[in-house]
Amino acid sequence: MDINFRDLYERRLDIVKEHKEKDNCPVIGTLCSYVPVEILHSFGIIPVRIWGQSENLHKADALLQPFICPPVRHLMALGLEGHYNFLDGIVHCYTCDATCGLFNIWTRNLKPGFSHLISLPYMTIDESLTYTMAEFNNFIEKLESFTGKKFSPDNLKRSITIHNEARSLMKEVYYLKKAGFPAGYSGISAMNICSQTLPLEIFLPELRKYVKKMKEDDRGSSGKLKILISGSVISDTSLMAFIEEAGGDIVADDACIGLRMLRDEISEGDPLQSLARYYLTRPPCASRSDFPSRKAHFLETLTDFDIDAVIFIHQKFCDPHLSDHPFMKKVIDETGIPNMQLEMEGDELTGRVQTRIESFFEMLERR
Amino acid sequence: MMEEKKTTKRLKANTALRQIITDFYADAHRAKAEGRPVGWIPPMNGLIELFYAMDIHPIFPENWAPICAAIGTNSNNFAYAQRRGYSSDLCGYFRNNIGYALDGIAEENQPLDGLPKPDFLISFGAGCIPTMKTFQVLCDHFNVPVFRADLPQVAMENIGEHHIKYGVTQIKRIIKFLEDLTGKRFDIDRLRQAVAYTDEACRLWDQIMDARRTIPSPFSAAEIGIMFVMVTRHGTKIAVDFLRDVLEEVRGKVERGEGVILNERIRLFWDNIPLWYNMKLFNYFEKWDAVVVAETYTSAWTMRMDTDKPLESIAYKSLVSYPLVSCVSLDKRIELIRKAVVDYKIDGAIFHSNRSCKPISMGQMDIMKMLSEELNIPGVMFDGDHMDGGSFSEAQFRTRIDAFMEMLMERKGNIY
Repeated sequence: MDINFRDLYERRLDIVKEHKEKDNCPVIGTLCSYVPVEILHSFGIIPVRIWGQSENLHKADALLQPFICPPVRHLMALGLEGHYNFLDGIVHCYTCDATCGLFNIWTRNLKPGFSHLISLPYMTIDESLTYTMAEFNNFIEKLESFTGKKFSPDNLKRSITIHNEARSLMKEVYYLKKAGFPAGYSGISAMNICSQTLPLEIFLPELRKYVKKMKEDDRGSSGKLKILISGSVISDTSLMAFIEEAGGDIVADDACIGLRMLRDEISEGDPLQSLARYYLTRPPCASRSDFPSRKAHFLETLTDFDIDAVIFIHQKFCDPHLSDHPFMKKVIDETGIPNMQLEMEGDELTGRVQTRIESFFEMLERR
Repeated sequence: MMEEKKTTKRLKANTALRQIITDFYADAHRAKAEGRPVGWIPPMNGLIELFYAMDIHPIFPENWAPICAAIGTNSNNFAYAQRRGYSSDLCGYFRNNIGYALDGIAEENQPLDGLPKPDFLISFGAGCIPTMKTFQVLCDHFNVPVFRADLPQVAMENIGEHHIKYGVTQIKRIIKFLEDLTGKRFDIDRLRQAVAYTDEACRLWDQIMDARRTIPSPFSAAEIGIMFVMVTRHGTKIAVDFLRDVLEEVRGKVERGEGVILNERIRLFWDNIPLWYNMKLFNYFEKWDAVVVAETYTSAWTMRMDTDKPLESIAYKSLVSYPLVSCVSLDKRIELIRKAVVDYKIDGAIFHSNRSCKPISMGQMDIMKMLSEELNIPGVMFDGDHMDGGSFSEAQFRTRIDAFMEMLMERKGNIY
């Protein structure tokens, strides 16, 4: 059995639209995994990660220069094409400069009924926690006025509980794959996007079923090299499949969506404070990390997943990842684990990219 | 084809400015030689007042970059950065500063004797990503004490009590670090004095910029180098004295009706960072009797400080300086540009689509559209890079600008 979240992934926007119509609940788009979706959920709002590739990238040219990274231009094109017209609003949390620019340009041009930017701190001292709670409270006040509902700490607790369960099960999926369950990484990637796009009430029962089935099925080692992929937005399924056909088994990731969000559980206690602590202490993305914290998490993942090789998948013009790369390469070189960097212009699995991947695996086999 | 005209008058203040630049770096070397600490810090924040109030010499790598571009050492620094594995798609400030700090700094016979190596570093969470990452690379490279601070990116219009409070917390942490480092007690009255100098410098700055509302404008964007004191000498009397002289000179020109060019006909707005290696570009417009009279970049110091609340003031300054000119809030940026275009009686806007600065470049198409639709002010965009001449074609610039200026001339009813 493969983890078949691809079908849900393909239908994700239609499912959300149906749900919105049926339950008359607002849907709010998010541009980053640092948006506290638990708060949106506690208001009965469906948070939807804005994701995907436009087939008409040129449509973004009227608003974004060609030196802005392809994922941001793709999302703007999707917005202009009307794919996300069903959204009632948009929320962003400042991470990289390009996405913040996108948030502003999206808001100005597509005029959503609700928009909000959260400015998180970059440290984890006590004052940062107090500050973050104040940021969340501002967000809550705006949501109260938008929905006409009062914030309920009990609802937030319930939202946290089911998000915790989903994250914990998703983490289990990674470990079951590592233990030898024959699943393609594109399925895991689809699961990750579904978790950020579908109403959790729809996603979670599916996830429970999949994990149960995974556990029941026989395991066996794939015998392939265990690969970690690292980058920002990694969404090209043909690239994932190509790496796996070339001899790799992608068992772990260090990307916008994936393992980094799953390591920690939101603790019990005051729900807002626990939530603030989760977002401040979760493994950081390149836009929010300093080198030591990124290094620590990276090394932990390499060991945890017995990684044989690392493939950096970087988008052209991606400031945070391109500026981290020489440091990260040094860190991995010191462990002796082979690594390579692919610089992508969007999601095209070009002949050049294929040749580089094949050469990399040939080199690995000769070792 | 129209003939190129020569700029008639540069500000006399440029002579003093050259000395101020020389002195700033000479002071840094002297501090180093005398065993006083030199700290490398990100620009555009309230640390500078704190440093001067504690006799610590600040070095801003980001301010060193335009100097490298002007003297031509940027290409070497880019090559060093590339050899270290840094992509040429990254910001030119970043590539220059990394290349310089990791390798270029060891070169002999550098202009201004180069930068003294840091005795300590302050690394911020945030600023723009390239600034944040510059300091992370420096912290990894130099074996010196590092202080990690925090500066969330907040839209200026959203700055509230908790943001200021958090900023003050950070300032207090830094004070403690600097006290431990220097073994000296922090004196709030000295900070108050530094804040008063910055406040006065900002007031003078606004008056100098306001003088450019006059027709003809007393100076053009070619003089933007005067901002050196706003970046490196805030918190000191040096900035205040210099700006007072600039204001006097500029007001004299205004009183005498003396424009930067003889027969000013067209007034232009410039969006984004100048091309530091090609500042003469601002003079190119003179052949149409046109002058760049206002810019986005110079609005970064339109603020006031409260000497009764020195800690809050430098916290506020730290929070607003960067978002004022970047894309944290496009609405705020549009509001500032809309006002400038009206106040400075602008005829047309030049947009430098800057490959090296995504935060300032994002939103330029929206700004251009707003100017055209709401104010009937045309704009033109050209591709460039504030640090890397390899990403700029002067021939393409001229072709674009020529067509645009001819259109503006027609609008003004001045057909040659």
